[in-house]
Amino acid sequence: MQRRDFVKAMMAATVTARTMLGQQTAAPPPPGTPPPPATAPGPVPWMRGLMEVKPLPITPLVPDAVAQTHAHFFTDQQMTTLRRLSEILLPPLKGYPGALDAGTPEFLDFLISVSPSDRQQMYQSGLDWLDAEAKQHYDASFENIQPAQADQLLRPWLRTWMSDHPPAEPHAQFVNIAHSDIRRATMNSQAWSDAASAAGEHEPGVDLYWFPVEPDVRREGSALNRAPALRNRHS
Amino acid sequence: MAEEKVDVLIIGSGHSGGMAAKVLTEKGISCLMLNAGPIADVRRDTEPKPAYALPFRGFDQPGRLPHVFQSNEFNANTWVDEKEVPYTYDPKHPYNWVRVRLFGGRSLFWSRQSFRLSDYELKGKSHDGFGDDWPISLADLAPYYSQVEAIFRVRGRAEGLPQYPDGNFVPDDSPWTGCMQRFVTAGKQMGIPVCKARSSEGVDGLASSVNLLLPDAFATGKLKTIPNVVVRELSADKNTGLINEAHFVDRLSRREMSVRARVVVLAAGTLESTRLLLNSRMANSSGVMGHYLIDQVYGPGITCSVPEARDGKATPELIGGSALIPRFRNLDTKAKNFIRGYALNIYSSIHSMDPRNFAAYGEELQKKIDSYHGSGFSAGIMGEVLARYENHVSIDKNVVDAWNIPALRIDTKYTDNEFNMARDAVDTSIALAEAAGFEVLTKNYDPNPPGYSIHELGTCRMGDDPKTSVLNKWCQSHDAKNLFVVDGSSFVSSGWQNPTMTILALAMRSSEYLAEQMRQGNV
Repeated sequence: MQRRDFVKAMMAATVTARTMLGQQTAAPPPPGTPPPPATAPGPVPWMRGLMEVKPLPITPLVPDAVAQTHAHFFTDQQMTTLRRLSEILLPPLKGYPGALDAGTPEFLDFLISVSPSDRQQMYQSGLDWLDAEAKQHYDASFENIQPAQADQLLRPWLRTWMSDHPPAEPHAQFVNIAHSDIRRATMNSQAWSDAASAAGEHEPGVDLYWFPVEPDVRREGSALNRAPALRNRHS
Repeated sequence: MAEEKVDVLIIGSGHSGGMAAKVLTEKGISCLMLNAGPIADVRRDTEPKPAYALPFRGFDQPGRLPHVFQSNEFNANTWVDEKEVPYTYDPKHPYNWVRVRLFGGRSLFWSRQSFRLSDYELKGKSHDGFGDDWPISLADLAPYYSQVEAIFRVRGRAEGLPQYPDGNFVPDDSPWTGCMQRFVTAGKQMGIPVCKARSSEGVDGLASSVNLLLPDAFATGKLKTIPNVVVRELSADKNTGLINEAHFVDRLSRREMSVRARVVVLAAGTLESTRLLLNSRMANSSGVMGHYLIDQVYGPGITCSVPEARDGKATPELIGGSALIPRFRNLDTKAKNFIRGYALNIYSSIHSMDPRNFAAYGEELQKKIDSYHGSGFSAGIMGEVLARYENHVSIDKNVVDAWNIPALRIDTKYTDNEFNMARDAVDTSIALAEAAGFEVLTKNYDPNPPGYSIHELGTCRMGDDPKTSVLNKWCQSHDAKNLFVVDGSSFVSSGWQNPTMTILALAMRSSEYLAEQMRQGNV
């Protein structure tokens, strides 16, 4: 709207208010008359047209469809080790993407960066340990050893295990949990889902997601409550 | 109208609160039901999404629900948030307290396993000298179990075993699949009955207070309900000692309010009910409130493969279905190193096997997954945890929840009885599986943390003696006769059985008793 028109509209409103004051002695509206609908300041009701609009015909993209994740938690060497480990543990198979195609190492860098410190410790020391083992046994970084050599390093630590009961010995714990995380991050990726669709699977990986139900945004620990300025606002 | 006195105030909307509401309103008594959480509507509150569209690609948000092993990124918003309603424990002895505050509580999501307690559980002390007998027996509960089984449409098969009491079942005439029959035969040879499982069919797949109990209550016109209010404490008349008022806070606005009541029926779920009574400093002349916390051992078990079903040879005739091995230990014989007993859940599946059953990776793992597809068979324990005074809860004065209500501290641990029972369960499962010709792939001897079963029971146990119990055999407080606690708090022992049928039966029985007491003017 042109500024001139806006100013005209504001002046019209002011004139109306003054006119109303001048009409103080006019009869009040009869009882039972509903009040006029509330409007926000401005010439158009705030919700106008929103009830009628059809949902937009967008299928939103998830960022992974086009973007790369920046890894910033693991060191460069740890990332290199993680990429090689991911490639070895889950290569492309039967038309499905491997861990590298699915952006798994970068996703895990993100996931571990926001995980509790014991999980971070396990990954960091595990990746360092793998690299140290490779150097000790084969005089090369983990990313440069042969698949057969990597197998010799990993196989002694592979275990069978059940949910909530991963192996407890340090190296076995890292190798098996990292393997499980690499598989899960890959199988839950869009690249995997696309391959599954191509293979004829209906709605791969789709499940019912629960939104927060009437969330309490005031609670302690919520991001909104952390800043001191916000905390004082309601005191 | 505000400020009037409510006849019966029911705190909680799950199975026990729902049953109390149904029974009392059908007897003409006006009830007001309070629930801490909102009413969930699957149409409004859920949406199908692929895992890759979730913020953490389907992984649990790290650190969000560390004690709810059952949570995942899809269902995370259904569980009580651990930061919003915290609890404390000794870090050396963790406890998994798993809660739902949506209207209907855990009755919205439970596993449907439906069993009666037997007198081996109800009269455990008479059988082996440990702990205490319940003040009631199976004969007292049987008429109520039958009515509950009818409402919940429990599907099962009569087995004629005293440790696995038969009930009022929708008949299960399904045949065993081939692998199950082999397991049944192996069991027979070892003197271990492998039985049909028992499960609540409910209506249209839901077996909850919201579809089986509360609609009847609302239909009487005598039930009013308020969601989103968190009860802070109850107060009592100084002269009579009777409960007279409930103080609560609006969950979202924090407005403090109260309502007066003639009778209070507490059905907030075992530990929340006890927490409320402890915070209210009432009904504990015995001193045992909070003590004798019990749950059930879950976690130990095995995963196997049926060799004849591998390499594409699995068929629905060979693989599929489930079974239940009810307690078979310490009935007529004595186990070496534990008392009481456990049940085993038996499952087989024509679907993919979990890759963690194979110590392999990459192409080799894929070959194994393909070969073993459709051959899976598993056994898992549901074990009785002994009721011990030392396993207890108390109020942690240093921690409050989001509404400044003092938090609960949980002090409990498993002992040799639980660990030895778990070991026997796994070893017995292996022996049965091998006798049936299955290949055992994975085994776990370690129980999940206490609380994992989501079957926390006790802490307001019932008994005939007011000096050693909180409630009488009608779930009525010894100290204040207008206070009833109808959830799992009243249990004296846990048994191995999913407690839902028993909670429902006790709630029905207590509510009928309460209605009669009110009619006679005693309460």
